[in-house]
Amino acid sequence: MSGVFAVYGKEIKLYFRSPIAYFVLAVFLLGTGYFFSYNLFVSGLATMRETFQNMGLLAVILLPVVSMRLFATEYSAGTYELLATLPLAPWQVVLGKYLGALTMLGLMALGTVLDLVPLYLFGAPETSTIFSGYLGFLLLGSACLAIGQLCSSLTENQIVAALVTVSILLGFWFVGHLQSFQTVQFLRELFLYVSFAWHFGEFIEGLARFESLALFVLFAAGALILNVCALEWRR
Amino acid sequence: MSHPVELHSLTKTYGERTVVDRVSFHVGQGEIVGFLGPNGAGKTTTLRMIAGYLAPTSGQVTVAGHDVISSPTESAAAVGYAPERPALYESFDVLGYLHFVARAKRVRRADTASQLDRVVSACRLEAVARSEVYKLSKGYRQRLGLAQALLGQPEVLLLDEPTSGLDPGQISETREVIRSFGHDHSVLLSTHILPEVTLLCDRIAILHHGQLLAIDSPAGLATAVGRANRVELQVAACELSDLKERLFDVSGVIRVDVDDRQDPYTVNCAVDSSGNVEAAIARVVTSDWDLLGLRRHDPSLEDVFLHYVEGAA
Repeated sequence: MSGVFAVYGKEIKLYFRSPIAYFVLAVFLLGTGYFFSYNLFVSGLATMRETFQNMGLLAVILLPVVSMRLFATEYSAGTYELLATLPLAPWQVVLGKYLGALTMLGLMALGTVLDLVPLYLFGAPETSTIFSGYLGFLLLGSACLAIGQLCSSLTENQIVAALVTVSILLGFWFVGHLQSFQTVQFLRELFLYVSFAWHFGEFIEGLARFESLALFVLFAAGALILNVCALEWRR
Repeated sequence: MSHPVELHSLTKTYGERTVVDRVSFHVGQGEIVGFLGPNGAGKTTTLRMIAGYLAPTSGQVTVAGHDVISSPTESAAAVGYAPERPALYESFDVLGYLHFVARAKRVRRADTASQLDRVVSACRLEAVARSEVYKLSKGYRQRLGLAQALLGQPEVLLLDEPTSGLDPGQISETREVIRSFGHDHSVLLSTHILPEVTLLCDRIAILHHGQLLAIDSPAGLATAVGRANRVELQVAACELSDLKERLFDVSGVIRVDVDDRQDPYTVNCAVDSSGNVEAAIARVVTSDWDLLGLRRHDPSLEDVFLHYVEGAA
């Protein structure tokens, strides 16, 4: 695992030596903070439900900015030649980078914990639902980052990587709406089962179901395996 | 016993285009081999396959006894590779960058500081050790690329144009680093600079259109292209046909060219490299004419290189 941690350490350094980490964290926390304050003080809703909903959509839009540089900039800057010739297996490179991106996701989630202070002061939120919401957010983010990292490994242009990732993630976020237009039962169920928004909604409601957990884990694992294959294929 | 680097019929194709064509050779322990060839000859592709960056289409590469394809991590651990364009993380400082490479090469924590000191000192990076990479001059970037390759005390060093972009002082220092490393390790370096190969390398591999045309010591290559040896004479004006006829009679003389535009004439004799032809030529000329000068020209590396490359074209 030492190779994984070497790559992980490098990624963390790279995030915080560029404006990307600060930009993503600032936009995410300002966005979620605004919606949380609005719901609490204007709508009078002392719950995290709406905040989680907004966190999910913000993650779908912002996480591609976190993942876009993971491989694309290594290719364009020529540093991938170093990574590929160091005694590191492709899975170690993929996992090290992924853990770095997950750290960013963790920091984003951690920043919103501040919102819980007024919530517990002025209301009586269900702690289990909050835990379930955060679990759902982390799982959703993990799947989004893995897909973004895969897209980044397929191009030298990080903007292309970000745009393709956003398109895919928005597709999986809104695909559940398509079931309203379907009369075929199988397709209705399929659209619902692959809908990120639907599964994330289950977590927000406090329903941490195995099939929702499995879906996000499968998406993340599948994207990471394809990522390793993409690196092998590049040789 | 296997050599530190062995290539067996190594081939790389991109679609219909063959970039490296059935190349086979080895690099021995403590040997420095120079890779010589014009642009597009396949030098970088070959180095990249040995380093494990590219997979061969066919053939086999072993490094320190490990197959590059079936044991990529083990073979990579035995290689220090410095690409032509140094692969550097711009926002890192020099020590931070080297520290990352040391960790990735699994240098033990207890040894990291001493190894960093060693490569920083060997590559003369002390003055910029705390500088960010993006602030470095081209020369320092090149040397940082070499420093990362030296980390982990690899058995084999692969260097792609290691002195490109360096000033004369830096070139000399870099050659000294390579020479000292080459005493007990194996080095394969590609370069366009012919004197560099002569100064550094025990053997020279000439690559052209992806094919290995020759591999031998500089002296061996010169002998192999011996017909390029020539003897240049300065002879006082005389009857040319007689002079040419007598010179052709000398055993070992292959061709005679005379420049008779001014007195003394300049006579170039292409000679076989095997015997001492100069003495025989001198005897023949001095018997009937005034010999004002005689000089033997052994083929330079440039002659050797051109002989092979133009012969293959």
